[in-house]
Amino acid sequence: MSDPAALNESTENFDNMTAAEFEERLPDLFGIGHGKVSEDPRFANFLKSNPDCAALVRDLETIAETAAKLFEPAEDQEPADSVWNNIASKLKDESASLDEPNGLIE
Amino acid sequence: MQTKPNPGLFKRNPPIAGEAEAIERAKEGDPDAFSKLYALHKRRVYTLCLRMLGNVSEAEDMTQEAFLHLFRKLGSFRGESAFSTWLHRLTVNLVLMHLRKKGLNLVSLEETINPSEDDAPKRDFGSRDQQLAGSVDRVTLERAVSSLPPGYRMVFVLHDVEGFEHNEIASMLECSTGNSKSQLHKARLKLRELLRNPEQLAVPASGKEGV
Repeated sequence: MSDPAALNESTENFDNMTAAEFEERLPDLFGIGHGKVSEDPRFANFLKSNPDCAALVRDLETIAETAAKLFEPAEDQEPADSVWNNIASKLKDESASLDEPNGLIE
Repeated sequence: MQTKPNPGLFKRNPPIAGEAEAIERAKEGDPDAFSKLYALHKRRVYTLCLRMLGNVSEAEDMTQEAFLHLFRKLGSFRGESAFSTWLHRLTVNLVLMHLRKKGLNLVSLEETINPSEDDAPKRDFGSRDQQLAGSVDRVTLERAVSSLPPGYRMVFVLHDVEGFEHNEIASMLECSTGNSKSQLHKARLKLRELLRNPEQLAVPASGKEGV
């Protein structure tokens, strides 16, 4: 795997890269910078002449973008009430043991 | 637990109204304040556990453990990162500890949680006719994520959903950043494959039946 920092600053001409080379570099390409690979001008010519690679990039970007939206849980996704009841009960027990005169030091 | 400011995660985790005050009061032992923190964060913590574990019962147990751990560790929260980032990191570490106890060795991602050949993404990145329609709805993606092999799912959830950086994931999973990056890429390729072939997707989660 190539050095991502070097790749980020690279002025290399990617126009004549093969699809296999592109695939090999993809994990790093997605890990650098803040923009999208599909919008990076360095890859514009390559992606234009390699529509399958362009489709792959677009799909992977769609997946990553949709995944970021999963951070906020769905409305109906929450733990059962018993989870809080158990937590409250255990905290109460812990507090009680700390409050006992001989609870900490014998 | 050490935390360092991370502007990206602050952006993703903007402060919640009343949270800072609840944290300070909970640190002083106010049970109502702790209850408020639970109410504010229970869904995110539970969902994180559920995505990592894929099992409702275990996810609820780990949610309970995470909040009990939070109660004991809250005094060490210094506000150097967003509270939810700190809480999520604490939760991830607990879940990983739980998985290690269960025997899932995460030390070597390549050897232990790499999927079998059948589960690995196919190397057919062409085929324009099968490309995604341009958008994916969250329910379908959730189903696809839950169909991923555990190693892929873990890295995908931590990076693409939770927003952790590869160096943080590498530290949590005790692997190299290159390994984390490679697993993420394979996870996304596998997801693409699953989304193009929805018949391979897991049965939708419903109620308490699991994911």
